[in-house]
Amino acid sequence: MDGECVSLLPGVCKVLADSGRSLPDDTSLEKLLDWFTGLSKTGGSLLESCPCLLEFISTVGSNTALDPGVLSFALRLAGLIAAREAGFTVLQERSVVDLVFNPQHWQDAGLWSDPCIRIGWIQGLQNMLQHPKALSFFVQSDLTQLLLQLQADTSLFVASAASQLLGHILLRFQPPPSSRREGTGETAEDHQGTSVEYAAVVVVISEYIQKSLSTEGSTQHRRSVQLLRLLALLLAQAGPPLRDTLLQAVGDALKELVAAGCSQLTLPLMDVILAAHSCGADKPDRHLSCLLSSMFSVNKPADLIQAAAAFLRRGLHDSDHSVWAVRILLLPLDIVTGRSLLGSKDLDEHRLSTAEELKIKNSCISLLCLCLTNTPHITLLPADLLPCPPGLIVTAVLALLSISSGQNSASSSPTATSCTEVSRNVIGSSKVQKCALEALAALSCCPGGKEKMNEVFTVLLQYLDSPDSDPTVLHKSYLALIKWMSLCTNLSFLTEQLRQDLLSVVRKRVCDVRWEVRDSTVEFVGKAAGVLTSPEEAPEGLPVSTAPLLKEALQDTESYVRASAIGALAQTQWHSWQQGAALTQQQTETVSRLLEILSQDTEGFARRAVVQYFISWFSAVSSHASPSSSISSYPSASLLMNSVRSVLSFGSADLDWEVKVHTLELARLLLDEAFLAEWGYRKSPDSYAGDSERTCRLHTHSRGVESDLAGVLTSLVELGVISALLSGLVDCDRPVALKACRLLIRLRDTVSWDSESQDASAAMATVTRVSCELPGWGWGQEIKKVLESKSSDWASKDCATALILSGADDGDSDQDGGDRMHAGVCEVLRSLGLDERLDILSQSSDHVHNSPLSLLQDILDASAAHTHPNTQPGQEVIVDCY
Amino acid sequence: MAKKPSVYLLWGQQRTNDRKTKRRGSNRVRGCGVSKAYCPKLQINRIKMKLYCLSGHPTLPCNVLKFKSTTIMLDCGLDTTSVLNFLPLPLVHSARLSKLPGWISKDGTVNLEKELKECAGRVFVDSQPEFCVPERELLDLSTIDVILISNYHCMMALPYITEHTGFTGTVYATEPTLQIGRLLMEELVNFMERVPKAQSATCWKNKEIQRILPGPLKDAVDVWIWKRCYSMQEVNSALSKVQLVGYSQKVELFGAVQVSPLSSGYSLGSSNWIIQSHHEKVSYVSGSSLLTTHPQPMDQSSLKNSDVLILTGLTQMPTANPDGMLGEFCSNLAMTIRAGGNVLVPCYSSGVIYDLLECLYQFIDSANLGTTPFYFISPVANSSLEFSQIFAEWLCHNKQSKVYLPEPPFPHAELIQTNKLKHYPSIHGDFSSEFRQPCVVFTGHPSLRFGDVVHFMELWGKSSLNTIIFTEPDFSYLDALAPYQPLAMKCVYCPIDTRLNFHQVSKLLKEVQPLHVVCPEHYTQPPATQSHRSDLMLELQPPPMPYRRCSVLNLPFRRRYERVYILPELANSLVPSEIKPGISVATVSAVLHSKDNKHTLQSIPKPPPVPPSKKRKRVMEEPPVTPAPKPLLSGAVPLEAFLTTLQKHGITEVKVEETADGHILHLQAEDTLIQLEEDGTHIVCDNNEPLRTTLRDLVLRFLQKL
Repeated sequence: MDGECVSLLPGVCKVLADSGRSLPDDTSLEKLLDWFTGLSKTGGSLLESCPCLLEFISTVGSNTALDPGVLSFALRLAGLIAAREAGFTVLQERSVVDLVFNPQHWQDAGLWSDPCIRIGWIQGLQNMLQHPKALSFFVQSDLTQLLLQLQADTSLFVASAASQLLGHILLRFQPPPSSRREGTGETAEDHQGTSVEYAAVVVVISEYIQKSLSTEGSTQHRRSVQLLRLLALLLAQAGPPLRDTLLQAVGDALKELVAAGCSQLTLPLMDVILAAHSCGADKPDRHLSCLLSSMFSVNKPADLIQAAAAFLRRGLHDSDHSVWAVRILLLPLDIVTGRSLLGSKDLDEHRLSTAEELKIKNSCISLLCLCLTNTPHITLLPADLLPCPPGLIVTAVLALLSISSGQNSASSSPTATSCTEVSRNVIGSSKVQKCALEALAALSCCPGGKEKMNEVFTVLLQYLDSPDSDPTVLHKSYLALIKWMSLCTNLSFLTEQLRQDLLSVVRKRVCDVRWEVRDSTVEFVGKAAGVLTSPEEAPEGLPVSTAPLLKEALQDTESYVRASAIGALAQTQWHSWQQGAALTQQQTETVSRLLEILSQDTEGFARRAVVQYFISWFSAVSSHASPSSSISSYPSASLLMNSVRSVLSFGSADLDWEVKVHTLELARLLLDEAFLAEWGYRKSPDSYAGDSERTCRLHTHSRGVESDLAGVLTSLVELGVISALLSGLVDCDRPVALKACRLLIRLRDTVSWDSESQDASAAMATVTRVSCELPGWGWGQEIKKVLESKSSDWASKDCATALILSGADDGDSDQDGGDRMHAGVCEVLRSLGLDERLDILSQSSDHVHNSPLSLLQDILDASAAHTHPNTQPGQEVIVDCY
Repeated sequence: MAKKPSVYLLWGQQRTNDRKTKRRGSNRVRGCGVSKAYCPKLQINRIKMKLYCLSGHPTLPCNVLKFKSTTIMLDCGLDTTSVLNFLPLPLVHSARLSKLPGWISKDGTVNLEKELKECAGRVFVDSQPEFCVPERELLDLSTIDVILISNYHCMMALPYITEHTGFTGTVYATEPTLQIGRLLMEELVNFMERVPKAQSATCWKNKEIQRILPGPLKDAVDVWIWKRCYSMQEVNSALSKVQLVGYSQKVELFGAVQVSPLSSGYSLGSSNWIIQSHHEKVSYVSGSSLLTTHPQPMDQSSLKNSDVLILTGLTQMPTANPDGMLGEFCSNLAMTIRAGGNVLVPCYSSGVIYDLLECLYQFIDSANLGTTPFYFISPVANSSLEFSQIFAEWLCHNKQSKVYLPEPPFPHAELIQTNKLKHYPSIHGDFSSEFRQPCVVFTGHPSLRFGDVVHFMELWGKSSLNTIIFTEPDFSYLDALAPYQPLAMKCVYCPIDTRLNFHQVSKLLKEVQPLHVVCPEHYTQPPATQSHRSDLMLELQPPPMPYRRCSVLNLPFRRRYERVYILPELANSLVPSEIKPGISVATVSAVLHSKDNKHTLQSIPKPPPVPPSKKRKRVMEEPPVTPAPKPLLSGAVPLEAFLTTLQKHGITEVKVEETADGHILHLQAEDTLIQLEEDGTHIVCDNNEPLRTTLRDLVLRFLQKL
């Protein structure tokens, strides 16, 4: 612990124990407790590092006149200290445990009615109940009954905390399986003692749950839900003995609840049953199977389908019930579309009630959505669990989409009349449409889905073409289309008509009145180009035909669309970049248009996208170039490198911090590229990588390569990489400065020389001659200031002057009046104090404000202000309000 | 307490529909103003209301309502879909159209070469286009008292009704309806007269010949009543009969009914109408919209509590959402312009075009169409654009508030100012010199049979770069394009119909809850092409009454009451007596005076004073000529008390027999029967007048007298 904090803590304890003093705000105590929790978790003893806390708790515990908030804090702190046996013993010796965890003490003081005290008591106990001694104390003090009473507390928070404590006790003190017991240090006596007390607690608690469930199950739903949640939590984590005890106790009560068929309890009940089911032995328990079967035979379609969905989500290996759950879930789709997904008629009873439910609009939509959400999962189940081939489910989802768009009626079936009534609820419902489109997208992975490709495209194109589709529906249609397209590498599997339709719909939607639609369309074009990688894609294929549309979209009035268009352009050109294809005139025009956007667009989104475009271009080219060949051998190298130079220049001067971060990412790629070709330098996978990711220093330089290093460094300077990094370093946005700092450190480590080496001076001479220009304004001045301050730290002003090789060498003055300077790159890198700067930048910007020291100081200051004679009453309130 | 007393008077006589009696007449009656429970059973006269349906087109209605001795025509729509059977009228000579082969039947027996031409695989009538006018034989149109117009699209047949049928009534419409209606009529006349065609084709209408013609001519109905377009003179004469009304203004028709227009939200000045008497209310809903476009929003609340609601003018495109269509319109337009093509928008010169221009105003910049010229070509283009800006009080709130700002309500003014939108009366003149391509042209007529649009079809039809975008829902676009086939230009169908759809109308009817709904039969079943869409029809309880062309409906609605006024002096002379708490009755003797369907009870004029003379003196002592009315009795005779009273009067031997309606008392000694029933008491006693009188007086003791 920080020494300064230790020195302030007694004062803080004094403030807290003084009832007249006030706190800076109501979160101070929580923050303080969080700090103590953190300290105790790191392994140290709180009492050892902060001995004043013992005094504090003893004092506060007996001073019932204090603010209940402070008392509650003290209770939780006491629990935290007593969480270790040593602490518990100390506190018990001082009778603190007996005092503060004695509810009678608080009742006598009239404080028990305050929920703040009750919750402090519960959480304090929960903190403390980590070892057998604490459990013994709990049992011997006869606190179990009180805890059970608190389950029904008027305060929801207290009741919930009490419920959690029950769970904690049962799970924390479970007897370890014999295999685990060895090596835990527990003696047989210890365990024996604990197990007797634990067994007693288990009996009391399970009786309580059983009784409460039977008496309140049908009336008090809120309480029952809470109990069922507790039960689900316990069953999910309990070992066999506890689970068996609990199940034996509550078995009958659960049966009654299931039979009562209360809709609000369906999901909590399923959670309990499934929790018990999933942690059971390989063969499911007979009683649990019965319970599940009962849940699946309730004749309320909404409850039934919820239970089925919950069951399937759990992914249990229970084929009987899985078959049933699948049938229940597919039933609404079967009824609405008239496709016989289920074949046999064993669901007749449910079919009628579900058909009735589907006639009510709200129920219809929610049933269908639940059904649709589960269809992708269903199609991936083993074939013997399915009532029909997965392809038929895809067909049914497509049929539902057609019905919902008003295109088709349900196919004729015995329930055709009811279908008409139901389809009225579905026609035009964008909720059903969205859900079905999501399901359809996910169904692309289903076995045999590929055969349905043309059908899927027909329906999706209908949606894309429909004037009534809302922007979200269109977006989801595009997503689904991409998913299905990704099954193949080109569109040859589609009929010619569908390909034409796809093109014409894209052409139309890119001119849509709604920008959201234009945006989704442009995004789609980009993604489609990414998916359709096959060289067989004909010249009139989608990526080629849509390129002019994207160019047009660069002029869009909405910046999101411009940004998406830029991204899409990058995606459509990725392959040609990678293959080193020569640039067309059109692409060259696009590049100049993009640089125009970067320098002039008023919206950040578009500018960010431009930088990313060049990142993609550069990555594509460098991934294509073999280690032996450099980018210069690439056909459009000069255009690329000239553009990159402009991007670095515009991007690092941008007002948007994200543009600057992206620009630095481009700089990183350039660094990687520059050093990789010559030096076998390891590329960093993540630009934000911490120290561990720093590249290894290149100690293996041999004579003769230093001139190459100098050449590389010079080219980086010329490209503007160094300027971009230096300007980023002094940027006021922390992410920018942090990234620049990390990159500079990597650069420094790469070019730094082992000064002990014999060749050091000679090599240094070549490399140190590489200099960069610092403008006489803005970041140049900032860098100069940093260098000067560092040199003053070293008490050698001359050094700083030495760094600056020359100022205004050609006599030109900068436009802003400042003089340009040249500085040696290596010296600058060494002299900027980058490691120190990295430490500062790595901390979050509010680290000072949020530090424990600051918290302690705030508490002391607030109290001082409060007690200051000049402070008017209410003044601080005004400050607070402000 | 100047409250005008009124009583319900129940008619005893069927009223004739004669105009003379309708407007004047008087009767002397003696009635009694009593509450219904004590009213003697009088014959209640129930007059039927009738609806005559003269048009089969659901959105271009023409119905006649006979209601309470008035004959009201509701709208006067002109079904122009008949023009699709005719060849287009080109503005400049078209070699293609002039060289079309004439039609001769396959066996060569029928030769109609001069009347019918074959064009693009179909047969068209080569003459001045004709319109399907409202039915004129169903009732005598000269008896129509008033015509209520709901919007400018529904008045296009007005000259056919007002000019040659002996019509002498009044036409009621709002000012924008009249002015824009006039523009549309003027435009129609102009389109026709600009390209006169001497020839009039009639032979093909012969039933025998029509039967052997190819479709769709073969299936055209009522071809004999198709009429050529009216003249400007007829338009002026018809419109001179229009009397302007404002929203919610109440217009009395002969004192019998009151009519009042309500905003219907569909177009500038469009109205629904309320037709009501004191006790009945009929609502006429025609061409209404709940969308927020330019007109004042629809007044729904005034439609509440109608006995009958006549529902017409729902959207013709129930599956085409106007917003979606507007979006389609814009994206197809932008797509064509970007590809270097021209866009042709066949449209009416008023209505949706204002919304299209407003939408484009916002869209132009986002789609980079700033430099594309927009042309609006119509003989009335200028007036239409200007009129729309001056009818401030008829606009939606948003636009109304702009009246107080420097900017005009519609943004097309700015488009004109910035030269983005240019308007011309026709393709001749200035337009031809300033025309630049690619461009967007808005012009009529949407049927593509006449107007400047015909020229652009000939000009642009051959290039696949160009697009024609249909926005008006009145014509089938495939039929409209039929004489231009084969066509290379792209066709986009974006019908924008802002009128109520079935979902909206169901909600509306749920709110206003009319007792009965009458509507075109089209609305009672799903569209033929989408028979599975049960959501595209009206489903009501009780089911709506459907009508079709030439239907005569007896509305399920009977008049029961009539309001009668009592003059103050007569009311003062009444002596009400309370028959039970809160209910008083009085007898009235008066003269019933009926004039202009208003009924007033006046005091009976006193006989002229007779000069006193000895000779007459004796007469004066005699009871007056009109005997004072006998008091009316009310109440019931309590059996026990009556028996006690009889006993007091010495009648002891009474045998009481209970009957279905009361009791029969047999006075055995006197051999007399007294029947005490709910609505009468009879004393049957032979030849013992003193006993009868005594008994009568005893009974009367228990009854109240008025």
